[in-house]
Amino acid sequence: MAIELSAVRYRYAGASRPALQSVDLRLDPGRVLGVAGANESGKTTLCLVAGGFAPGVVGGRLEGSARIDGAETTSIPAHALALHCGLLFQNPATQLSNTTATVFEEVGFGPCNLGLAVSEVIERVWWALKTVGIEDLAPRDPARLSGGQGQLVALASVLALRPRYLILDEPTSELDPAGTALVGEALARVAAETGAGILLVEHKTEVLARIADEVVVLREGSVALAGPAAAVLADSILAELGVEPPARVALERDVRAAGLDWPAALAEGIG
Amino acid sequence: MDLLRRWVARQFTTRVIVLMPVAIAINIVLGATIQQALKLPIYLDSIGTILVGVLAGPLAGALTGILANLIWGYLLPAPVGSSTIGPFAITAGVIGLLAGIWGQLGLFRPRRTGAVNVIGAVVAVVLVGALAVYTYARAYASPEAFNNNVSGNSAITIDQSKVFFLVVMLVYVVLVAWAIFLRRNVGAVYAIGAGLVTGIAAAVVSAPIAAVVYGGVTGSGTDALVAAFRAGGDSLYQATLKQGLLSDPMDKMITSFVVFFIIGSLSRRFIARFPNGERALGDEAEAGAPAASES
Amino acid sequence: MASSAPGAGLPEYVTRRAGGFYRSANPSTKLAIAALEVVAAFVVPGWPGPLLVLGAVLATAAAARRLRGLGVIALAASPIVGSILLVNLFLLPGASDPIARFGPLAPTWSGLWFGLQTAARLFAFSAAIALVYLTTAVDDLLADLARRGLGRRAIFVVGAAVQMVPRTIERAGEIVDAQRARGMDTEGRFWQRARGIVPLAAPVVFGALTEVEERTMALDARAFSAPGRQTLLRVPADRAPDRVLRWAAVLAVVAIVGLRVAGRLG
Repeated sequence: MAIELSAVRYRYAGASRPALQSVDLRLDPGRVLGVAGANESGKTTLCLVAGGFAPGVVGGRLEGSARIDGAETTSIPAHALALHCGLLFQNPATQLSNTTATVFEEVGFGPCNLGLAVSEVIERVWWALKTVGIEDLAPRDPARLSGGQGQLVALASVLALRPRYLILDEPTSELDPAGTALVGEALARVAAETGAGILLVEHKTEVLARIADEVVVLREGSVALAGPAAAVLADSILAELGVEPPARVALERDVRAAGLDWPAALAEGIG
Repeated sequence: MDLLRRWVARQFTTRVIVLMPVAIAINIVLGATIQQALKLPIYLDSIGTILVGVLAGPLAGALTGILANLIWGYLLPAPVGSSTIGPFAITAGVIGLLAGIWGQLGLFRPRRTGAVNVIGAVVAVVLVGALAVYTYARAYASPEAFNNNVSGNSAITIDQSKVFFLVVMLVYVVLVAWAIFLRRNVGAVYAIGAGLVTGIAAAVVSAPIAAVVYGGVTGSGTDALVAAFRAGGDSLYQATLKQGLLSDPMDKMITSFVVFFIIGSLSRRFIARFPNGERALGDEAEAGAPAASES
Repeated sequence: MASSAPGAGLPEYVTRRAGGFYRSANPSTKLAIAALEVVAAFVVPGWPGPLLVLGAVLATAAAARRLRGLGVIALAASPIVGSILLVNLFLLPGASDPIARFGPLAPTWSGLWFGLQTAARLFAFSAAIALVYLTTAVDDLLADLARRGLGRRAIFVVGAAVQMVPRTIERAGEIVDAQRARGMDTEGRFWQRARGIVPLAAPVVFGALTEVEERTMALDARAFSAPGRQTLLRVPADRAPDRVLRWAAVLAVVAIVGLRVAGRLG
């Protein structure tokens, strides 16, 4: 039971170069895998391929094997993909269905599409709202929320389908620090309470430092670095790969570079 | 039967379903604001319809047009809502249908200004011109000739039909010249020609609707033209047809021109994902100009 | 908020039933009645058709407290009504009973008669349809059509389009302001206005189009293309009077058209 990418090579329809050159990756349920990398390094493509949306929804050519719980993603019909992997993107506004008047109905959009019984839909909606922590937003108009709230609603809408894996493509990139904090906390809660496997692409390595178990760094469509989060984020090669390390790591590096000690107590305190 | 169902399903992928409301919104917003700003019988309210037709196929295009009219007329409150546009949903459907056919024929592809393409363009102009000559001669014939189904030079009221026909062709030539000389894109000839034909069809379909539902008037300046034709003895249908043949082809030519450039400006990657995208794009070699940057 | 407690069924803000005379009627019934009114206005010859319809619509609107909305419609329709009156007054072909002569212009009685009739017909038609949307929320209409089998794709297209139009207008307004701040002239002469259109229309169009890809994936990520009927969380009531009225309206439409075709309506 995992998402497994083996020797995956992928090219978009109408593109001249492959976006992913050769990627091996594994995401287990209950684990949080962070993905970092410079722009155009293939992070978004990785999300689409891991979730089965590429080539399923966006076309293109996939070589190698991308499997979700043992089944090749190409063999899963498009509408069933959402049941395995919930996908979240950067812009909260474009993830709204634009057909609902309240957050409650918006979160229920997915379960309603599946044709579930009304009682089941209600139960799933409340569960999703509770897990993400936004029950008080239920009566609000989804079009009138802040960016952070919008992303939380998107997260709840996707959770309502009870997927085993969650794939998030830079969910905080368009949010201010308050929104980022909201989403980060919600993700931590989701990871803890639902046992879902989470693939989190993030530019803000702080978020990765907080909740990721392992981190993978991409460069030009292939994996340049992989390993436990703490180790990867402290690796000095990050800057070359176009990734800014978390503030704590940078601070520690500067302190040591100035010849001072980095006392263990401080390390634990900032942690 | 199953083939039909599959042809229908192919045109309505999720991506098309997402594009349609966007196209409808573009129709309505541009239509309302441009009409206000320019106060000409140029509506530009079919941009979305033609775009969907070319990218997704005739059925999707037709439905976009029909729904846009119905929503604009019946589901949106004033001042945006238009109280007179609803019944013309049929016309809008025809426009979308035709756009889908033109798209399938590849008439909206960008083409280099090479020998083969220029010859093809000339042929297209001749064909379209011939159709236009016939239509204008019939429509602008004297009322007796029109009602007695007589066509041919002897029945033409020479002045009227020539003037209006020349006006329309002048606009055609101007647009095409701009496309060729400033943008080096001969493909515009086909697109604008398609627009001219679409405009003629739109006028022919709209005339009876305008005549029956609105008595030939729309509350805008063109009513004076209809009135003038009526005063000259034309039947209601003939008068609205004449007025339509003046404004619709120009509007649709300009709209097709705009859609042609919109398609040329979108990335290949974006267009290729639509059901008709491959056909709308043609080969990269044919396109000549470097493909727009990947977005 | 007791009504939103989990396990208590749908919260009240979701079911939100419309209230008031005619407003609480079933949307499909209102559609059927509007269809009947439109047919009556156009198919029944002479004055009875439009006048009866206008009377019915005005009475219903008054009872539903929507007269002001109808007034707005009337205002919006005034240019075309004026046009119709003027054109027919002066230019009805074959009319030979002038009211007066002002040089070459000769308004005729038959022109006035015909013009008024056409205008009344047009106004009846617009009012009948306006009454539907003045008393029905788009949400409710779509939900009712969905219950009767309209597919989720059509529902989505109409629902999303209706929501998107105001948002696109807002965005267009923002772009206009931004361009004005950069010195673009929006009031000037014709050529200036024409040239100003491209910097306005292009961002609106391209902005809307670039969102298509993201929106597509977001929809698929919510199982939009799943087969089968979607669950409806809220459906407008469809009581016995609604059903009776609806069928009566449909039968009346058939009857009127039949009578006209058979030449019995004179």
